Amino acid sequence: MLSGEELQILTTSFWVAANAVLWSLPFAIAAAFALSRPRFPGKLALDAITHLPIILPPVLVGFVLLMLLGRRGPVGALLAGAGIQFAFTAKGAALATAVMIFPVFVRSIRLSFEATDRGLFEAASVLRAGPWDRFLSVALPLAGPGILAGMVMAFATALGEFGAVITFAANIPGKTQTLPLAIYAVLQQPGGEAEAGRLAMLSFLLALLGLAAAALLQRWAVRE
Amino acid sequence: MSLLRADIGLQQGAFSLDARVEAPGDGIIVLFGPSGSGKSTLLAVLAGLRAADRQTILLNGRDVSALPPHQRGIGLVFQDARLFPHLSVRRNIEYAARRAPQGAPEIEEVAQFFDITALLDRRVRNLSGGEKSRVALARALASRPDFLLLDEPFAALDGARRRAFIQVLIHMHRAWRLPMLVVTHNIDDAAALGSHLVALKEGRVVAAGEFAQASRTSEFQALLDSHDTGATVRLAHSQHGGHWLRADQVLIATEEPKAISARNILPATVQRLTPESDGVLVELVTEAGIILSRLTPEAVAELALAPQKRAWALVKAHAL
Repeated sequence: MLSGEELQILTTSFWVAANAVLWSLPFAIAAAFALSRPRFPGKLALDAITHLPIILPPVLVGFVLLMLLGRRGPVGALLAGAGIQFAFTAKGAALATAVMIFPVFVRSIRLSFEATDRGLFEAASVLRAGPWDRFLSVALPLAGPGILAGMVMAFATALGEFGAVITFAANIPGKTQTLPLAIYAVLQQPGGEAEAGRLAMLSFLLALLGLAAAALLQRWAVRE
Repeated sequence: MSLLRADIGLQQGAFSLDARVEAPGDGIIVLFGPSGSGKSTLLAVLAGLRAADRQTILLNGRDVSALPPHQRGIGLVFQDARLFPHLSVRRNIEYAARRAPQGAPEIEEVAQFFDITALLDRRVRNLSGGEKSRVALARALASRPDFLLLDEPFAALDGARRRAFIQVLIHMHRAWRLPMLVVTHNIDDAAALGSHLVALKEGRVVAAGEFAQASRTSEFQALLDSHDTGATVRLAHSQHGGHWLRADQVLIATEEPKAISARNILPATVQRLTPESDGVLVELVTEAGIILSRLTPEAVAELALAPQKRAWALVKAHAL
């Protein structure tokens, strides 16, 4: 059975991961669709920006977010005026997570778009479907199973995000403390290994469930 | 007045396309040519799926050259059908009907016409090649194009299914008064379908016009003779019952035949004899119009054929 504290950690983790996936979904779909096109001006730059979080150290990503969106950052100060704060909040944890999972998310959705027969878009266009219409009526439904599988994969990845979250949102129990952050916190305390072990096991189980769900969805996507 | 007028120029590596096409408002235009002559490229440019270096495309007097494909009103049936795999047969047709201008035919009406009513709720991946082709035609019709292009829509079919499909096309053209341009590299299909002909060779139009005239030009005959199938055929230039006859499928008798299996026996008068390198082309005047027959010089001598001589043209039913 889970303790109240563990349940709280799990709830925060799910909230952060779910928000990270949902808020980044439209951007990931847009980037993936654009990158699946044969060529367009700026494709290389978009590709590089999309993959930047993989190359940069996560702590650096968190630091950049802090510089931009902290209370004294150029964007953060503007948002603070509107009563919106990201740094050291659960929203901030979700944002940092969204940035970190973005490359994985885009990659899996992009594969689905690339797998779609381009001839079908031509068929749609001679049936009087315009570009947006083709995207919504052909590209998106055909990539649907792949997008769903990508969401599950991104969710599983989001549950394990650490460096950027702790730097940008800190490790505040009940607020921004997700599973990996909680494991880190208990490991800082003497005799915390047992609790860390329980949390690690929980984390491991969630990761396995996520992988299994993603694999099942992938199989379904291929069959569809 | 021409329904479709196009002047297209395109250079791609060593291949260049330089074609002027005029399609009349009625009839079926056959775009004929061997593989690699630029037929599919021309179709893609007409439909707006491919850019050309030079293009002027007038449809009903309206310049559609600069319009994207979805605004041209030119439909296209692809060789591989390209049905949407995530939709049922019914939803595929509805997809087109929903985007069609007012006056699109009812789904059930179209389905009945193409004999696909029983398939309406099936997934498209479970259809046979012939069924897919019929659904693709139904979908194209449901989008109510002003002009329909067909890129070898029967390439995947053979034998009886091919002939049946050609009949469906002719029937569709007549019933819906839909101007069509059909691409083929098969002379039998061209002869069975076309009222007008545009023949392409290496990106250039070598013959164009009413099928009867265009198919008898030396340029077209040269194209047939050099055709990679090796076929050397002569086409009759009379539409008998709406079908084109190949001249090598027309026999001649100088006495009225009796007890013979040929289903079509037409009284005729020999009008002209034209010696050719590989035979003699005999022009016969019948009540159905002028029919051509290609015979060997020996047969012509044996029958003592000469202008004004009474004769009978014999055509097997399956040649129609």
